[in-house]
Amino acid sequence: MTDAILDYIPIGVMLILALLIPFVILFIVKQITPRNPARFKNTTYEGGKDPIGGAQVRFNVSYYLLAIVFVLFDVEILFLYPWASCYKNPEVLGVFPAFTSVALFEMTLFILLLLVGYVYAWKKGAFIWMR
Amino acid sequence: MVDYTALAPVGILVVTAAVVLLAGLVVSQKKILGYITLVGLLVSLGLVLANWNIHVIFDGAPFYGAIVVDPFAQIFNAMFLTVGVLVCIASLKAYGDHPRQDEFYSLMLLATVGMMVVAISKDMLTLFIGFELASMATYAMAGFDKKDPKSIEAALKYFLIGGLSSSLIVFGMSYIYGLTGATHIDAIAAAFAATPGLASTPAALLAITMLIAGFGFKMAFVPFHMWAPDTYEGAPSIVSALLAAGSKKMGFAAAFRIFIVGLVAMKVDWYIAFTILAVLTMTVGNILAVVQTSVKRMLAYSSIAHAGYIAIVFVIVSYYPAPDVAVAHAIAGGLMHAFSHALGKAGAFIAVAAIGYMILSKDGKVDDPNHIDNYDGLGKRAPITAFLFALLLCSLAGIPPLFGFTSKFVLFLASIEAGLLGLAIICVLNSALSVYYYAKVVMRMYWGEPKGEAFIESPTYTFALAIAVIVLIVLFAMPFVTPGDSVYIWAETAAKAVLPALEV
Repeated sequence: MTDAILDYIPIGVMLILALLIPFVILFIVKQITPRNPARFKNTTYEGGKDPIGGAQVRFNVSYYLLAIVFVLFDVEILFLYPWASCYKNPEVLGVFPAFTSVALFEMTLFILLLLVGYVYAWKKGAFIWMR
Repeated sequence: MVDYTALAPVGILVVTAAVVLLAGLVVSQKKILGYITLVGLLVSLGLVLANWNIHVIFDGAPFYGAIVVDPFAQIFNAMFLTVGVLVCIASLKAYGDHPRQDEFYSLMLLATVGMMVVAISKDMLTLFIGFELASMATYAMAGFDKKDPKSIEAALKYFLIGGLSSSLIVFGMSYIYGLTGATHIDAIAAAFAATPGLASTPAALLAITMLIAGFGFKMAFVPFHMWAPDTYEGAPSIVSALLAAGSKKMGFAAAFRIFIVGLVAMKVDWYIAFTILAVLTMTVGNILAVVQTSVKRMLAYSSIAHAGYIAIVFVIVSYYPAPDVAVAHAIAGGLMHAFSHALGKAGAFIAVAAIGYMILSKDGKVDDPNHIDNYDGLGKRAPITAFLFALLLCSLAGIPPLFGFTSKFVLFLASIEAGLLGLAIICVLNSALSVYYYAKVVMRMYWGEPKGEAFIESPTYTFALAIAVIVLIVLFAMPFVTPGDSVYIWAETAAKAVLPALEV
C-alpha cells in the first residue's frame, strides 16, 4: 500500500465512527430513558400555549422575493469583501500598476448591474409587504 | 489599456437587456421594447459579421486568456444572434400585447449573452458561468406561459434535467482541475499531453464521462435526450425555437472547445464511445420522429437526430491520433451543419407558432393545435406560411437549393474522407429516413383536404420565416457566386482556430 493511501486511514476510521455514533447514542437513550406518554406531552410545543392551526401553512410569496433580493446583496458583499481587501495590496500593484483603476471600473460595473435588478424588483413592488 | 472592442457585441446585448428591463417600468406602450431588443441584436450581429475573421486573445490583466474572440467564437455568435433576431421578430407578434413582455425580452437577451460567453471563453470557469447564465434565462422562458400546465411541465423538466447536467459538468471540471491543476483549456491539454498516462487514470475517465453526460444532456444526445421532446413540445413555440436552435448549439460550442482540444491532447481511444453515441442519437431520433403525430414533437425528435449528425465530428476527431485535414473538414462541416440546423429549426418552430396561432384564432378551441390533422390543406388556407414552412423542412431534410444540403454534404463527405465509410452510410440512410417524416408534413399541407376557410396570415411571422429561408438560400448560393468569400471558408478558418496545432 502506498503512503498516499495510508494517509487516508485516519479519515476512514473517522468516517466509520461518525456513521456509528448516532446509532449507539440512540440505542443507549432508548435503554435508559423512563417513558410516560400523555396527551399534552405529545402535542406540538408552541411557546407553552395551546397550538393553533395546522403546521403546514402557506407562506406569503413576498418571503420568496425578499429572499431573492437578499441573495443579490449577499453575493455583492461576498465579492466586495475580497475586492476591498486587495484593492491597495502593494504586491498586486507591483505586478499590475493599473490595478486600482481597473478594479474600480469592474466593481462599478458589477454594482450598476445589480442596481438594475434592485430597481426592477423595487418598482415591481417586491418590498410592499401587504397588498 | 486593453482594447475591448472585440467584446462589443456581448456588451451591447448586456446594455440592451438592462435598458429593456428598466424601460419596461416606465413606458406604457410596451411594444417598443421588442424593437429596442431587435435593434440591439442587429447592431451586435452586424459587428460580429463585420469582424468575423478577428483573432483577439485577452491574455492580459483582466481576463488572463479566459476570453478569446476567434472565428470559431464568431461563427457561433453569428448563429446565436441570427436565432435571436428571428425569435425577437416572432415574439413581436406572439407577445406583442403581453403585460410581462419586458421580462421576456430581457431574458432572451441575457440567454443570448450567456451563449455568446460560452462561445468566446477558453477557460472552464468562464465557460460554466456563460452556460449557467443561458440556462437560468431559458428555464424561466420555458415556463413563460405560466397559465398553461404544459408550459410549467416543460419548464420543470428542463430545470431538473438542466440542474443535473450542470452539476455533472461542474463535477467533471473539478476532477479535471484536480488532475491537471488548471482551468484553462490549453493548459489542461498541455498537462494531458505532458503526462501520457494521466488520461487513462480512473479519475480522468470518470471526469470525461461526466463532461460528456453533462454536455450530452444539453445537446440532447441519446440516452440523455428524455427531457427534450417534452420541453420542446410544452414550451411556447418561439421559446422552443430558441432552445432547439440556440441553447442546444451552446452545448456544441462548449463541447467543441473542450473535447476537440482535449481529445487531441489525450490520445485515448474515445472513438468507440462517440461512434455509439452518434449512431444511437441519430437513429433513435429519426425513428421516434416518424411515429409522432404532433408536428412540434416531431421537430423535437428531428432535432435529436441532427445532434447525432453533428456528433460525428467527435467521432472523427477521436478517430485520428493527430489532427489532420480530414479533422479540419469535419469540424467545418459540423459548424456549418450546426448553423443550418439552427436556422432551419428556429424557422420551423416559428412556423409552428404561426400556424398554431392561426388555428387557435380561427378554428376556436382545438385540443392540440400542433397535431398533424390540423395541417391538412394548409397550402390553400395559408399559402405563404405553408410554402416557407415546406422550404424550411426541405432544408432540414437536406434538399437543395437550401443550406441544409450543403452542410450535410460537407459533414458526410468529411466522414468518408476520414475513412469512416460505415458511419457515412449510416448517416445517409438516416437522412433518407428523415425525408419521410418531413415530406409527410409537406404532403398533408398540400394534398390534404382543407378543414375550413383561408386564414389571415400574420405579416410578422411571415417576415421572420422569410428571413430564415432567404438566409438559407443565400448561404447555399454563396459558394457559386463568390467562391472566395463563402461560409465554408469561415467554417474552415474557425476549425483551424479551434485546432491550434494543425498544419494544413
